[in-house]
Amino acid sequence: MATTNQHTADRKTGIIGRLDAWVGDEHSLKYAVGVYAALALYFIWFLVPVAWLALSTIKSGAIIQADHLIIIPSAKNFTLGNYEMVLTDPQFQSLFVNSIIIAFSTTAITLVLGILGAYSLSRFTYPGRKMLLVAFMSTKMLPPALIIIPFFLMMYSLTLVDTYLGIILAHCVRALPLALWLLKGFFDEIPKALDDAARIDGCSHLTALYHVIIPLALPGIAVASFYTFVTSWNDFLFVSVLSQGGGTRTLPFGLFLFQSANTINWGATVTAATVTAIPSIVFFALVQSYIVEGLASGGMHGS
Amino acid sequence: MSTPTGEEYRFHRVRRFFGEAEWFTRETWVGYGLVLPATVMMLVIIVYPTVQALWISFHSRSFLNPNDVEWIGLVNYHELFADPVFTLALKHTILLTVGAVVSMYLLGLGLALLLKENLPGIGKLRSLSMVPWVIPPVVIVIIWTWTFQVDYGLANLVMKMFGGPNKSWFGDKSLALPLVTMLRVWKDTPFVAIALMASMQSIPGEYYEAAEIDGAGRLQKFRYITLPNISYISMIMIVIETIAAFNSFQMIYIATGGGPVNATEVLGTYVYQQAFREYALGYASAVGAVMLTLLAIFTVVYIVLEDTE
Repeated sequence: MATTNQHTADRKTGIIGRLDAWVGDEHSLKYAVGVYAALALYFIWFLVPVAWLALSTIKSGAIIQADHLIIIPSAKNFTLGNYEMVLTDPQFQSLFVNSIIIAFSTTAITLVLGILGAYSLSRFTYPGRKMLLVAFMSTKMLPPALIIIPFFLMMYSLTLVDTYLGIILAHCVRALPLALWLLKGFFDEIPKALDDAARIDGCSHLTALYHVIIPLALPGIAVASFYTFVTSWNDFLFVSVLSQGGGTRTLPFGLFLFQSANTINWGATVTAATVTAIPSIVFFALVQSYIVEGLASGGMHGS
Repeated sequence: MSTPTGEEYRFHRVRRFFGEAEWFTRETWVGYGLVLPATVMMLVIIVYPTVQALWISFHSRSFLNPNDVEWIGLVNYHELFADPVFTLALKHTILLTVGAVVSMYLLGLGLALLLKENLPGIGKLRSLSMVPWVIPPVVIVIIWTWTFQVDYGLANLVMKMFGGPNKSWFGDKSLALPLVTMLRVWKDTPFVAIALMASMQSIPGEYYEAAEIDGAGRLQKFRYITLPNISYISMIMIVIETIAAFNSFQMIYIATGGGPVNATEVLGTYVYQQAFREYALGYASAVGAVMLTLLAIFTVVYIVLEDTE
């Protein structure tokens, strides 16, 4: 790290000097360049395949499978036809609607159960509270592949196969443990004096939760709903087993079937994949500033 | 020596005790009541199926006739350990788990060290780096199969420019397992990195200042301040990622379906294969039970290790 005496006023002139000032006093320019260079290496690994996929969606059929490298299509080969084809396909539309219904219902149910449960675990002391917390989290350890078999049998005997409810229930329990822990972490940060004051003012537990805790824990609720939404939106296993007839298929499973049945039409495959990824990424963009906070203060704290 | 005031005092104490007990039980029941819906849901949808799965593993049961159940004791387990595909799947699962967790941790640690630096634009890069973590697994698989597509995938086009081979990477028996391991690493490294970074940022700056006064270099500060202070979160991340990698199913099933020729068969895909392709519910449950046992052993060892530290 640069020592401060190097940063005298006269060094801050010229291009190097100005860059140095931009980088800030804590770092030498050489060090900053090194950090950016190392980050660039990481970002190449992650961004290049993503960009390659996204750029492929606007390439016409003539060049999408070209035998030489075409990174950006020329005006002649540029097309929005792939998007038009995917977005107007009734089958894709029904997959999209199913995904929306299932992901939003899952998020709503998980939030209600999660907020009530987290409030209880954060504000009350009773025998078995700690055990309950550990038990919730340890269900994350159970192999989904093991649970899916009896879960399918159970849904089958309740005639919940090929219904939204069966899938929504499965997604709720997949997301609930972490949502509970995240919310509890955020609730713990809110001083208990605030809800005690509300209780003295005559609030019941539920109104105190509604008027005091929930408004203050909104960032945590945003992170928990994001996590739940993504769990549901991205799930493949439960949908693939519980959608036997096809009426309740969601995007990931539909995409998988499309890709394995139709390896010729790569234009449609890459475009459908891009559209499938967008809602999770948009939701992430909305709450990303809270996620670091969530990872730091919420579910990651041990008991 | 008892006086009327003493009697009164005792009575008062008893009344207060009951009052407190009543308050305590009322509060307790509200607490239980609020956590009850979540608990019931977990019990019905997770705990009961788990127990049932273990029970099924001692039976011969097929999806074709789900009501035709026969108790066969340990026969499924006997067959399991004589099954070469199971042994192979177990080996692949361990290779994948160790490979993925080690690479993920080291890469995540490196990325965390870079992202924690307070440089212009780094906040944006922090957010951007998280994107692979939120992309649906099926899309991740399509991104990479598209990149590695034979003839016109980016990897082959670039290789061609340098005179390299043109091949179907996921179809190569020796490359398929490393590739699906890479997919896991690609997806979860940012998650590990951000958690480690958050933990690094909570280390008080005075620690580093004091070390600097003592003449510590960058490497020494990392070794003696950063590492010990992120050890707790590191352990948690390693446990979470070990469990996730051990349970790997989605991306492998979508990318290779366990192939080519079982080269990427792991326990997760083998359970699915046995249950939903061969309809052998009892046998599939036995594989799942072995997974659960190994994870339980891992968790117990981890808890014991953490306790002794």
